[in-house]
Amino acid sequence: MLEIKDLHASVDGKPILKGISLSIGEGEVHAIMGPNGSGKSTLSNVLAGREDYEITSGSIIYKGKDLTELAIEERASAGIFLAFQYPIEIPGVTTMTFLKTAVNAQRKARGEEELDAVRFLKLVRGKAKALNVSEDMLKRPLNVGFSGGEKKRAETLQMSLLEPSLAILDETDSGLDIDALKVVAEGVNALRSPTNSMLVITHYQRLLDYIVPDFVHVLAGGRIVRSGGKELALELEETGYANVNESAA
Amino acid sequence: MNEQASAYLKANAVSAPQASWLDTRRRVAKQAFADVGFPNRRVEAWRYTDLVRQTVKTGWEPAEPVSGALTVPEGCENPFAAIRSWVLVFVNGFFRGDLSDLADLPEGVEILSLDKALASGSNFEAAFDAYGPEAVAPVISLNTACARDGAVIRLGKGVKLDRPVQLVHYTSPGKAKATHMRHIIELAEDAQMTLLETQIGWGDAYLVDRLTNITLAKGAALTHVRVEDEGESATHLSTVLGDVAAGAKYEATTLALGGHMGRLQTAIRFTGEAAHAQSDTAYLMRGHQHLDTTIIVDHAVPACTSDALAKGVLDGAATGVFQGKVIVAPHAQQSDARQMSNALLLSRDAAMNAKPELEIYADDVQCAHGSTIGEIDNDALFYLRSRGIDEETARRLLIGAFLSDVLEKIENESVRTALEERSHAWFESASDGASS
Repeated sequence: MLEIKDLHASVDGKPILKGISLSIGEGEVHAIMGPNGSGKSTLSNVLAGREDYEITSGSIIYKGKDLTELAIEERASAGIFLAFQYPIEIPGVTTMTFLKTAVNAQRKARGEEELDAVRFLKLVRGKAKALNVSEDMLKRPLNVGFSGGEKKRAETLQMSLLEPSLAILDETDSGLDIDALKVVAEGVNALRSPTNSMLVITHYQRLLDYIVPDFVHVLAGGRIVRSGGKELALELEETGYANVNESAA
Repeated sequence: MNEQASAYLKANAVSAPQASWLDTRRRVAKQAFADVGFPNRRVEAWRYTDLVRQTVKTGWEPAEPVSGALTVPEGCENPFAAIRSWVLVFVNGFFRGDLSDLADLPEGVEILSLDKALASGSNFEAAFDAYGPEAVAPVISLNTACARDGAVIRLGKGVKLDRPVQLVHYTSPGKAKATHMRHIIELAEDAQMTLLETQIGWGDAYLVDRLTNITLAKGAALTHVRVEDEGESATHLSTVLGDVAAGAKYEATTLALGGHMGRLQTAIRFTGEAAHAQSDTAYLMRGHQHLDTTIIVDHAVPACTSDALAKGVLDGAATGVFQGKVIVAPHAQQSDARQMSNALLLSRDAAMNAKPELEIYADDVQCAHGSTIGEIDNDALFYLRSRGIDEETARRLLIGAFLSDVLEKIENESVRTALEERSHAWFESASDGASS
């Protein structure tokens, strides 16, 4: 599904990722853990195609294609979804309008028929209910005035509507209390399937109690310094990141 | 004496007598305009919009009335055509009864052309002598001297119109022609109506000078929605002079997208307490277009509220101007005045000039003014694109969102939709290559 090889990337000329290699197979859930500043968010932004991030060497192959050649929106239509750590507030665009535009843009890009208002409404209502997203939230401008929990539920709703084959969750647990975390995790888990893969980026082990990964990687100094099963997350919870540094690589 | 102004007046001022009270005022106006000339950048209120540069090389002649069927080019249709209304059509500044629809006017409503009203002896001295601050004075003189026709709309006490009145202005005069129009709108006590105005033109360079005197008596309410969409070589001057009495409400929204050079002037004076005025503008400019929004609100009496919001989208090498002025008289306590200008620059060559002015002589007031000039937010653009929305659509969504503060305030849904569709059409025409 996703094959990252010796990836180096810079922001404003400053190298952040210094040789990441990672392979994610179909249906697998990988967690990336690491201290602040280790490059976790840079990795997610590079995968989504953010333009301020420059890939200096290495390769990213997604479903057999060179991902770096695709525009941001092409990656989305190809099945990549980035759940933002801090979802952007967009005044003047209602959540509903945004969702419909996004869903139909992807359907169009894939050569599928666009959904009319009635069919779309039906689809959204069902998914919104499961994620505890109210009608009122759907009518409000996107993310404007949403609480931390509402923002993450709205992200999860987008994900469940767009049904990505590779979901990247960037610090989805930040700003969530335990109840909100459970609702979001439930939504994410509902998307797990033998064909859908996930990359869960987090600082804390807590999220991984609810979204249980198949593999855990530790990112430090722009490189993956350790990899293991889900028990690695528990070990890190015990020992902290102090023992993990670049020299361990 | 200003030679350019004198030559202009010689060619364009109305010389045939229409009504003695008006003929007198025309003589005074001609003299006043000949003395000051076309406003230019040496005058503070015209610092960014120089009419001399615009007019000096052009030998303007008066536009003439045209008769017969009017062929409106594609894209120049009246955006409010589908809205059931009473309609007055003007072509080249002259009323065209044959294209208008004033059937079944209710009791207490008078709607006719200015020319006809004058011929039947109506007197508009009060309107002609009403409020007109210094910044707009030269244009008032010019209009008084040159305007021959226009619309007269008068609502009697308590009359509430259940459908809008439309003023539709078309200009297609051929090269270097000038049109001047004077509208008189008077709402008696507690009267209510919606006025929809459209100014559309095409073809070679021309000048439009349209002045509207609005008088709202106690408790009256006027909703005024305008689309200013001139031809690409046009110079557009529109002036609204409003006297708003106690408890009356004036709510205006303007969408401006056409013209080579435009100046939208609004001057409101409160004449009674607890009155409200709102004047919002959304404008979309590209190429070398220039649009000036000048708003003057005179809180001459206590406890009135005013709100002016201008939102501009500037592409190519377009320039925008916002001049907002709030005057609060010494005894006008509990005044609440807000003015805000927001500009979104889509290109490096676009420019925006914002000049807020406050003259506050009372101490118990709330006055807020501000100005922002920015670009499309890259984070927002990335967010939308990361959901599969292509860049062009994402930009349009964000620009539409930027303008929505202005358009959303329009309560009448079909009117709001008409304005939204007109702004969408602007984006469509951008793909023709006029964009940055």
